[in-house]
Amino acid sequence: MRSRRLLNGYPKMKRLLSSVTDGKGFDILLVSLPLLFLLAFSGLPLLYNVLMSFQEVDIFSLGRLIRPFIGLDNYRELFAAPEFWPIMWNTMLFVVCSIAGQFTLGLALALFFDTGFRGSSFLRGLFLVSWVMPGLVVGAIWNWILSGDFGVLNYLLTSSGLISENIFWRSDVDYSLWAVVLANIWLGTSFNMILLSVGLAGIPKDLYEASELDGANILQRFSTITLPMMRSTIGAVISLGLIFTLQQFDLFAAITSGGPANSSNVAQYWAWELSFRQYDFAKGATVSTLMIITVMIAAVLYVRSTRHEVRI
Amino acid sequence: MTIQPQIELLSVNKHYGGFHALKDINVTIPKGSFVALVGPSGCGKSTLLRSLAGLESISGGEIRITGKAVNDTPPRHRDVAMVFQSYALYPHMSVRDNMSYSMRLRKASRAEIDAAVADVAAILGLGDYLDRKPNALSGGQRQRVAMGRAIIRNPKVFLFDEPLSNLDAALRVHMRKEIRALHDRIGATSVYVTHDQIEAMTMADHVVVLKSGVVEQQGAPLSLYDTPATKFVAGFIGSPAMNFVGGIVGDTGRAVTLDLPGAPSLPLARTMEPRRQVDVGLRPEHLSIETGGAPGIETTATSVESTGSVTYLYCGGDPEIVVVLSERERISQGDPVNLTIAPDKIHLFDPETGAALR
Ligand SMILES: Nc1ncnc2c1ncn2[C@@H]1O[C@H](COP(=O)(O)OP(=O)(O)OP(=O)(O)O)[C@@H](O)[C@H]1O
Ligand SMILES: [Mg+2]
Repeated sequence: MRSRRLLNGYPKMKRLLSSVTDGKGFDILLVSLPLLFLLAFSGLPLLYNVLMSFQEVDIFSLGRLIRPFIGLDNYRELFAAPEFWPIMWNTMLFVVCSIAGQFTLGLALALFFDTGFRGSSFLRGLFLVSWVMPGLVVGAIWNWILSGDFGVLNYLLTSSGLISENIFWRSDVDYSLWAVVLANIWLGTSFNMILLSVGLAGIPKDLYEASELDGANILQRFSTITLPMMRSTIGAVISLGLIFTLQQFDLFAAITSGGPANSSNVAQYWAWELSFRQYDFAKGATVSTLMIITVMIAAVLYVRSTRHEVRI
Repeated sequence: MTIQPQIELLSVNKHYGGFHALKDINVTIPKGSFVALVGPSGCGKSTLLRSLAGLESISGGEIRITGKAVNDTPPRHRDVAMVFQSYALYPHMSVRDNMSYSMRLRKASRAEIDAAVADVAAILGLGDYLDRKPNALSGGQRQRVAMGRAIIRNPKVFLFDEPLSNLDAALRVHMRKEIRALHDRIGATSVYVTHDQIEAMTMADHVVVLKSGVVEQQGAPLSLYDTPATKFVAGFIGSPAMNFVGGIVGDTGRAVTLDLPGAPSLPLARTMEPRRQVDVGLRPEHLSIETGGAPGIETTATSVESTGSVTYLYCGGDPEIVVVLSERERISQGDPVNLTIAPDKIHLFDPETGAALR
């Protein structure tokens, strides 16, 4: 009572308070804070990055915003660089193979745990361990596993007779990219599995019963019920996988450093190398801008796939 | 109608771990008949139906469909169709695709599918909705699609698990008639689960009353009403439910004295064991109010409800006795009434076992 009388004299305060209590306008306030944050710490650097890719930048002009504008020169030079196409090819291979591996294993595990055997939810929880580990730690572990002389992987492969000679995973140009792909699949599988598990759990069990009565065998149930009902989840998982895979930097830093001879170099690692090893900030920004475009396309696909969710 | 058994349940038992859900169920269902499974919630109706469909495996006994034991036959080879309480429509498929799903699975030709869908859609009045997804349909329309999906398969047996429980009262009454008409039209054999005894009584040729996994009684709907085998069936069938009053048979065995204030005595139509404790069952619609001093239950009306067509009279206290009168009576709350009943309408039950005493 008293506070209301007190507020009567302050219409602005009253409006603000009522916006909190009624929720009118309060939602906008809530959204605007993180939006401002995003704008300041993601949006501006992003724009700055795009701007840099059209400028001539050297170590002396680094601190300035206004620098000589050179149009598409950076892009032209980048495309002409001898390592450009091999690195793009590597990036594509890395992304496609990582996602394919993560998704297939993740879906298989999700289906496996969905059978609901005793202890399945506990085991599923354990799988999350790989996901909460930092990439550098995962990289270090895989360094040991992949080590040419004493690695467990080589031991397994030789003792099972699949190979006769040790493979030097990290230093052989034929294998270095695959070493990182392997580690990345391991890292991302549990994330895929969890999201896909949630999607599977969202499919009502009576749909399976109805389709079973309608005459569907297990493969037909998978293709006519499970897959279509999971469409939006699968779309989300794959687009998120694309985004995460394009961001994967730690594993390259920890396992191969992009080498040998760029054989395992990918765009995200190359951008860092150009900027902070060769101090060619403009080129680094140019590579980043190309990646921004790719990620944006993935993000649009992601948003679209979540919007097309099947309502039950 | 040929009297050839379509479904036979022979001492079917079902355990869920330590829980005995179905106990020695024996039911024979002739071809072309409409059987209702009724009982209170949790009595095992759905379990029995799902066992028939093959969605649950039974722990003992045998299920036969057209004479063949199907205990080890998976659902898709049993040739039964089921309408789920939730309808279980495929949300990502149009009405057309929902209904033709089974045909597409067995790779029926395009022309065959189109013809069948058109047929079924015409029967169910779904022609205008074939291209809609289930979430764009009303509850009643979804219910029809679920039926269409079953009908299109032309199965040996239709199973319904409370298909009308999600509909409003008026639509329920309408669909009740429609399902029965459909059943007659396609000459199917149907098993229909419901907890609503009115649905069971109005739709079925044969009613099976289940209680805690046991068949309490089965038979024609009116025989369950006229001669209930147990107190449970007597109370379950009929609406409003039968009144039960404790009592004791008189010295002559030709009358029963009720445990009510004033110890009223009612004449019996048959001779019972004298001085036997009984539970007396009086159907509300068999009681009438008498002014002429005939022997009856002297009590007072505690509340009167009139719907226009019938009057509900609530009399006495402990236990309350409900009376349904089809005449409009000028009785108001607090009036004394004398309730009488024809002697042959009195049901007697053993207070220990609940079995009917005849
Ligand atoms: N999977 C299960 N595990 C253990 N007990 C179960 C299982 N399914 C059902 N039951 C038990 O079996 C009994 C019968 O269940 P059922 O679903 O057949 O009941 P119902 O007669 O269909 O009831 P309602 O009218 O509520 O649908 C219930 O007591 C239930 O708790
Ligand atoms: Mg049920």
